[in-house]
Amino acid sequence: MRQRSLITITAALAAGALTLTACGSRDDDGGSDSGSGGTKVVIGVDAPLTGDLSALGLGIKNSVDLAAKTANKQKLVDGVTFEIKALDDQAQPSSGQANASTLVADKSVYGVVGPLNSSVAESMQKVFDDAKLVEISPANTGPALTQGVDWQTKKVRTYKSYFRTATTDAIQGPFAAQYVYNDAKKKNVFVIDDKKTYGAGLAATFTEEFKKLGGKVVGTDHIDPDTKDFSAVATKVKNSGADVVYYGGEYPQAGPLSKQIKAAGAKIPLVGGDGIYDPTFVELAGANSAGDLATSVGAPVETLDSAKQFVADYKAAGYKEEYAAYGGYSYDAAWAIILAVKKVVEDNDGKLPSDARAKITAATQNVSFDGVTGKVSFDEYGDATNKQLTVYAVENGAWKAVKSGTYTG
Amino acid sequence: MSGVGPVEPGEGTHPRDALDTTAPPRPRGRLTELYDRHRRATLATATATALLAGGTYLYATRPQPPAPPAPPYPSQVTDLHYLSGEATPAGAAPHSFSFGVELSVLAGPPVTVTRVSQPYAGMSVTSTPKAPFRTSAGTSRKVVITMHVAQCRKVPWNAGLPFLDVTLRNTRAIEVHSFILGQRYAQHLSEALQVACSNGSG
Repeated sequence: MRQRSLITITAALAAGALTLTACGSRDDDGGSDSGSGGTKVVIGVDAPLTGDLSALGLGIKNSVDLAAKTANKQKLVDGVTFEIKALDDQAQPSSGQANASTLVADKSVYGVVGPLNSSVAESMQKVFDDAKLVEISPANTGPALTQGVDWQTKKVRTYKSYFRTATTDAIQGPFAAQYVYNDAKKKNVFVIDDKKTYGAGLAATFTEEFKKLGGKVVGTDHIDPDTKDFSAVATKVKNSGADVVYYGGEYPQAGPLSKQIKAAGAKIPLVGGDGIYDPTFVELAGANSAGDLATSVGAPVETLDSAKQFVADYKAAGYKEEYAAYGGYSYDAAWAIILAVKKVVEDNDGKLPSDARAKITAATQNVSFDGVTGKVSFDEYGDATNKQLTVYAVENGAWKAVKSGTYTG
Repeated sequence: MSGVGPVEPGEGTHPRDALDTTAPPRPRGRLTELYDRHRRATLATATATALLAGGTYLYATRPQPPAPPAPPYPSQVTDLHYLSGEATPAGAAPHSFSFGVELSVLAGPPVTVTRVSQPYAGMSVTSTPKAPFRTSAGTSRKVVITMHVAQCRKVPWNAGLPFLDVTLRNTRAIEVHSFILGQRYAQHLSEALQVACSNGSG
C-alpha cells in the first residue's frame, strides 16, 4: 500500500510539474489584427505599384498596411478601425493627380501617405490642400515641395496639408558633394540628370556644393528616362576626363547608365541619391558597379533599435515584397496620421468631428513620437525634424553603409 | 446461531497456504533481493529524484524576463549644435579661430568623444576639452572647437553645408558621425576663413 501511494504521489507531482511548465512557459502573443471599432478611417496610399519603381512603391504600401494593422491590433484609437486604400500612380504626375481626386472624393479617407516621386507630389499637393486632407510623403526630397520654389533665398510654405518624413535634397545634395570631394577625393565630376523634378533638383544641389568645395564640373548631360540606351552619354563621360559621375534620377536608369559608362571604358564610380539606393540598381549595373555610391535618407537600419521591431513585424506579416528604402518612413508617416486621428477623436468625445480632415491636418503638425526612423515630428514647413543621411557604397554586390551624418542646423 | 460473523479463512484459502511449500523456492534476482531489503530507501530515492528532476525542469523553463535592450548606438543619442563664435584660446597657432558647440547625450550609457575632425585638407582642429572626454546621458556640455588653417588654398571659403566629423564611443559601438551644423555655422566658417587667410597668410 505504501509503495503504491508513493508511486501515485510521484506520478501526480511529475504530471503537475509538466502541467505547470506548459501553462507558464511562454506568453501567447496571438490576437486579432482587426479592430472592433465602429468607425472606419481609411488611410490612402499613392505610390508606383506597377512599373520600374514598383519595388519602392510596394514597400510603401505594405508598410502603411502594417501600421494600420498594428494600430487595429493595439486598439490604439478606441472605436476606430483603420484600413488602407492604395492607388497606383505609375510614377506619373497625371496619374497622381487623378488619384488625389479619387482619394479626396472618398469621404472615408482621412489622410494619405505618398507619393514616391517629387514630380508626382507637385501635381497632388493642391488637390489635397484644397480638401484640407493631410498628405505625408515618406520619400519626396525636392526642397520646393515644403519650402517653396524660392527655397534657396526665401523659404515659404505653400501647402499646410503637406508633410514629409524624409529629409530634403537641400541637405542630400551637399552631403553627397562633401563626401565625394573630401572623403572619396574626387575632383572632376560629370553630372547627368533625367530632367525630372527630383533628378534635376538633386543634381543641382550637388553641383553647387561640389563647385564651392573646389571641384570641377567637366561635363553635364541629360538622359531620356524612357530609354535604356545611354551609349552616347557614356562616350561623353569617357572623353571628359571625369573621375566621378553624379546622376540625379532613379535606379531603373541609373543601373544601365552605370553599366554602360564602365563598358565605354570609364572605370569611375557613379554616385546618386536615394532614388538609386535599391538592390535593383546593383542588379542592373552588374559586377562593375562595385564602388558606386548612393546617399539615402536616414540612418542605416542596423543602427536603429527602433527599426528592428518594424523589420521583424514586416517579416512576420508575410508581405511578398521588401519594405525597401522607404518602408520605415512610410510606417512612420502612417503612424503620424494615426496619432493625429487619435488626438482628434479623443478631443471630440470619442468621435470624428464633422471637420475631421482639417482637424487631423492641424493635429499632424504637432505629432511627436519615437518612430521606426527615430524621433518623428515636423517643423514649420512640414519637413521632418529628424534629418539624417547615410552614404552607401556597392560592395560585394550589395549596398553597404560607409558614413552617416545628421543635420543639426 | 444464525447471523453472519467474520468469516475465518479456511485451511488452504490463505494465499500463502496455497503455495506449495515443498517446492523449492524460485531463485530470486540479486537486484530484487536488494530492492526487498532496501525498499523504503529505494522508493524514497526515486521520489526525491523525480521531484528534483521536475523542479529542475520547472526552474530551467520558467518564464524569463525579456533581456534588457542593448544600449543605443552613440550616434543615435548624441546631439551636436553650433552655438556661436568664441575667443581663440591663448597660445593657439596663428591663423586659428574658434567657435562653440553644445554636445548633448540624450539616453543610454555615457558617450565618449574620442576625436573631432573636419574634412578639409588645409585645416586641422582641436577641442576644449581635449578628446577623449565623456558625457553622461541627460547632460550637455559646451565644447570649444579651434580650427587652424595651414594651407588656405586647400580650404573652401564658402561651403554650403560644412560639417564636423566626431568619433563617438559608448558600450555599444564606436562610430564616426558627421554633424552638419547648418547655415549659421557655414556663415561663421566662411567669414573666419576669410579673416584667417587674409594678407596672403596660410
